[in-house]
Formats: sequence, structure tokens, C-alpha cells
Amino acid sequence: MDIKTEQFVQVAEEELKNERTRLFLSLLPPAVSQRRQAAMSTFSDPKAAMSYCASVRGAAVDNLPDLLEEFEKNATANGAKVIWARDAAEANEFVVQKAREKGVSYVTKGKSMVTEELGLNPVLEQNGIEAFETDLGEYIAQQLKRPPFHIVGPAINVPPEEIRDLFMDIGILEKATADPVELGLAARIYLRDKFHHLKMGITGINMAIADTGSIINVENEGNIRFTKAAPQTQISIMSIEKVIPSIKDAMFQVRLLCRSCTGQKISSYVTIDNGPKKNDEIDGPEELYIVIVDNGRSAKYHDLLAREALRCFRCGACLNICPVYTTVGGYPYGWAYSGPMGQVLNPMLLGQERTQDLYRASTLCGACKEVCPTGVNHPKIFRYYRSKDVDGDTEFGGKPRPLMESIIYKFWLQGVTNSWSWKLGARLARPLLNNAIKNGWLRKKIKPLDNWLQARDLPLFPKKTFRDRWKDLRDRS
Amino acid sequence: MKDVSLFIPCIVDLLLPEVGEATVAVLRKLGQNPIYHPDQTCCGEPAINSGYQHHAIQAAKHFIEIFENDEAIVCPAGSCVNTVKNHYPELLAGDDDWVKRAESVGSRVYELSQFIVDVMGLDAVDATYQGKVAFHRSCQQLRGLGVSEQPERLIRAVKGVEAIPLIGADVCCGFGGLFSVDYASISEAIVKNKTDNFINSEADILVTCDPGCLTNINGYLSRNHPGKKAVHIANLLAGI
Repeated sequence: MDIKTEQFVQVAEEELKNERTRLFLSLLPPAVSQRRQAAMSTFSDPKAAMSYCASVRGAAVDNLPDLLEEFEKNATANGAKVIWARDAAEANEFVVQKAREKGVSYVTKGKSMVTEELGLNPVLEQNGIEAFETDLGEYIAQQLKRPPFHIVGPAINVPPEEIRDLFMDIGILEKATADPVELGLAARIYLRDKFHHLKMGITGINMAIADTGSIINVENEGNIRFTKAAPQTQISIMSIEKVIPSIKDAMFQVRLLCRSCTGQKISSYVTIDNGPKKNDEIDGPEELYIVIVDNGRSAKYHDLLAREALRCFRCGACLNICPVYTTVGGYPYGWAYSGPMGQVLNPMLLGQERTQDLYRASTLCGACKEVCPTGVNHPKIFRYYRSKDVDGDTEFGGKPRPLMESIIYKFWLQGVTNSWSWKLGARLARPLLNNAIKNGWLRKKIKPLDNWLQARDLPLFPKKTFRDRWKDLRDRS
Repeated sequence: MKDVSLFIPCIVDLLLPEVGEATVAVLRKLGQNPIYHPDQTCCGEPAINSGYQHHAIQAAKHFIEIFENDEAIVCPAGSCVNTVKNHYPELLAGDDDWVKRAESVGSRVYELSQFIVDVMGLDAVDATYQGKVAFHRSCQQLRGLGVSEQPERLIRAVKGVEAIPLIGADVCCGFGGLFSVDYASISEAIVKNKTDNFINSEADILVTCDPGCLTNINGYLSRNHPGKKAVHIANLLAGI
């Protein structure tokens, strides 16, 4: 998919005016958050459950190289073939090449964020291979050519009437109706047919188990299960951080993942694959390829704070609670990962130059950190990325801050460490700021103040600061 | 009378001195003796949040040098207290001596309501306000300091107050310092949500412990709902 992270502000402005987005955002995220909370309260000690999960994720991420090798060994012993892809191009090329080799004209896909990250669908299309997203929301988003609005519900903001028109257009709906059940059924009937005689199915992976070589998918619609069970060739793709030590860890992680994601104790389907079909089995793919994608992660792995972003297992709880996401929705983030999750991941994967707005457009309120079951400290990582820009640290591809800002902070530093200059600065600044606040000629010159005053008032800076008043106050005691 | 050192945030010093005056009045009402170090400036939070860590380190050291001999330091702003308590040790990491000094100062810094309830052991301040009061839980105070019950208890204990529950009380008001001017229209939409909830609650005033939230919420109210107001908890408790 196209990367449009640079257009954050522009798309956010559009979405702020989009009535449908606003209505939807006022209803769904709070409802999901509430469900999450209710589901979490079924733990005898929710906080302990979260911190245990965070420590499992933290330990797994810290131990990635060993776990990945162990996983490869055991998955291979199960009969799967493990493919390492350094970047999106390598991963996509492997899939295309395999599809060609097998003479495949189409593939079905299970909902997978990593293939969104890789931009796999357009590459398949370019090579004449049709890709059918089989998750209902993902299918709608694909047909509308829109990025996912929400990680769990990619098209959850699209009104049924629009889906009706879309389905009529592509001819999978016989009689025009906006009944969601009918629409779901139409897509189901259409897509079900694609599973018959399926040659190749492509899925993501929620967890890869190092000590058994198994892969796990968590879903509610059952299409991933079909995509894994029906084809001759199954390709499952994961980014490197999906590996965890044992099935015990995985089963605990599932409890937190489902609760945080949809407020379920467990999703409708949790499937565990141990390699392709064995000789004495009747079902399952004849071949299983597991593609392990790096795509920029290991290059940042040495950075302990950025590495923390790899703990994320994509539950989306941070989206539903974020004041910014719940105001502008998923489109402004411009890529596969939106909300606080994307704000920590995207700069690491895409570099800071094109993602500046992502780690700056945060109030640092900390609600994301509070609900994160994997222990990601989002605000800390945002501040860290911001400081890299200021320090001129180019490892993440950041760019220096505007000259004016650094000059202001130079003055600030002068004042903050010396109360005389602080007082003097305050005295000099007051008439200028007050001129702007009173709509004077300086208003347009002081951009931040002008921005503020667009929709908000500001009291005038009083003649006597607290410091000035203290003498009287003290003597009055 | 016990000395209590006033940590007056820069925004209170420069823009909202009446909040500082109310803080002094409340502390005096409770038999404390507020003292004020005129050399204090800004805790450095804006620099930390904008990524100017090296600048913030200077601010932190300046703060520590000024306040480290005080027994109790009280501040009418949860976010500034959070900066000293939680960010200073992180900021100074790598320099053990400074970290120790930061942690030592941090252990003696309190947000006003936290000081009254946790340190002084009080459940109430003698104050009167006739009307319905809603409370906004400021983010850094709530999530950084874990302080929410303390101010709410003090508000409920004010004579004449009818405490009104606020929908989304713990949702950010959209201030976020520079966020509010860099992403003004998003910030505006967030604060609108906050003030809508306040208006719909039918409370007379919205109380907060943070001058940042206060400025943001009042800025929007003043423009769109003149007559409605957010009030700092110090002003409610001082009756001024």
C-alpha cells in the first residue's frame, strides 16, 4: 500500500470535517474500550496479568535472535520451509515466484497487517495474480482501495449503504440491500467459492512458537482457517518479533490479546499449525512456507528504547483509548499501523523524516501506555524520537528542527537557569504576547499564539507575575 | 507553623498568578507557612516534551539546587510534579550523584491536593462553594502520579458542593503543551469534547489541578460558552 505518513495533517483536517468519521469515532472506540475493561476484570488481578504479559513480551523481544533460530529449526523439523526476507521486496518476490511456480492465478488472503506493511497485494496484482482478501472488513477496504481505518476493523467506518453500492458494482449482490447480515452473506458466498480448489493461501501469523515450531492465528471469522486448510500451498508471513518461547507463553498471550483487542476472553478461532499435512493426514496444505520478515527491524534492534516498540502484538487497545486517534481516525496515520501503535512503529520502520507528525501529534497523555498489555511506554518513545530530531541524530533519518524553535529554546535555557534573565525575558515578552492576544499586529507574526487563538481565548499576561506579588503576599502573612 | 516550599509553575507565575495566590491562601488556612524561592523558573517540562533533553537537564539541575534543602515542596500543578518526580531521574540517568539528588527532591515534591490529603492527613479544607462541581482528571497527575482520589475527596468535602460525575473525566483535554498549537484543530476537537461533556453534565464549574488543562479548557469555554468556567482546585479551596 502507498505510504502517506507525510500527509498526516492534511488527512486529519479532512477527517475532522467528515461527519461519518466523527459519528463513528464517538460510538465505537469507547464501546470497545468498555468491553475491554469488562473482559480484563475477569482476571483475578488484571494488573498482574498485564505485567506478566509485558514481561513475557519483553523477554521474548530481548531474546529474538536465539528464539528465531530455535523456531526455524523446529518448524523445519515439522516439515515447513522457513524463508528469511530482509525487506518487503524480498518477501513479495518470494510469494510471486512461488505463485508462478505453482501456476496460480489467484490467492486468498487471511487478514494480515504484515502483508499491508509489505504492500503485497499491489505486487501480486502487478504480476497478474489476483488477491482475494477474505476477512469481510479487509475485503471491503481492498475493494474501496482504502487503507485500514482500524487495525481490527479495517472498514468498520464504512456505512452499509456504501457497501451495498460497492457490492452491486462488483456484482456480488443480487438484490440491493443495506442489511448488514445480507451484505455479509453475499461476501461470504462469493469468497467461499474461492476456497474450492484453492492452490495458494496467504496468511499472517499472530505467534510463532520457538520450541515447537508451530504458528498460531487468532481470528473471529474463520477465513484464516480456510486459507490455511484449503490450499495446496500455504504461505504464512510474520515479522521477526512474533516469535515467543513456548506454547504456554502463547496461551497466556492469547488471553491478553483477545481481551485487549475485542473484549473477548478468546476469539472464535485460534488455530495452531504444526507444519504441512503429514502422510497419514487427510487435510491441510501439502506445503507450508513460513516467511520471516525483517524489513528494517534488526537495524534498530540495538536501540533499547526503539526496540520496545517490537513488543507490540497489535491488539489495538491503544487506538481505542487515544484522544488523537479517536478524534481523527486511522487514515491520517497513512500506513498499515495507526494510532499510538503506528506512532511508535512507523518511525522505526519508515524513518523519522516521513513520520515526524506521527510522534509529534500526541498529547503525551499516557492512556496508550496504561492500556498496553505488552508494556510499551509510548510517550517515552515519542519523546525519544523528538529528541533525536533536536540532537541531529540521523540514525533514524530524522531532520533538524526549525531554526526559530532552537533559537527560542536557547533563550529559554538562558532564562531557566538564571532568574534575572527569566524576569527580564518575561517583562520584555509580555507586551508582545498581549498585543497578539488582543488581536494586534503581532498576532499573525507569532504563529503558535495565532494557532491557539483560532478557536480559543487566552487571558492577558498580567502586569505583576506571582514573583512580583510574592513580596506583598509574604508581608501579609 | 511548618515551612512549605512553594513550587510555582512558570505558567502560574506568568499567566495565572491568582492560582499561586490561592495556593498560598490554602496552605496558610491549614496552618502551614509557605515560603518562596524567587530564583525558581521552569521545571523543564516543555523542553522534555519537545525533545530538548540537554536543555531540560540544565533546568532540572537548577531546580534541584534551589529546592533540595526543603522538607516539603508543594505545587499547584500535577504535571510539573510529575516532571520532577518521574522525568528528572530519567533525564539525569548516567550521573549517579545527580540521580540521587533528583530522587531525593522528587520524594519531597507534592501536588497541592496530594500534600493536603497524603502528607497532612486531612480529608477536608474549610471552604464553601454553593453549586454543582465536576472534576477533570489531568493526565500527568492521574497516570504519572496516580493522584485522583485526593482532589476528589477534597472537592466533595467543600461545604455546599454537589459533586457531579463527568463523562470521560479521565480523557485528555487536548492540551499537551506544544501539541495544542502545532495541531491546533485536532486539539480543538478534543477540548470541544471535554467541554461538551462538562456542559452536558450541568455542573456549574469544572475543577482541575493543572494550570495547563485549565488554560486550555477555559480558552475554549471563554470563546464558545461564555459564563462557563474551569476553576483551579486551589481557588475552590481558598474561596478566591
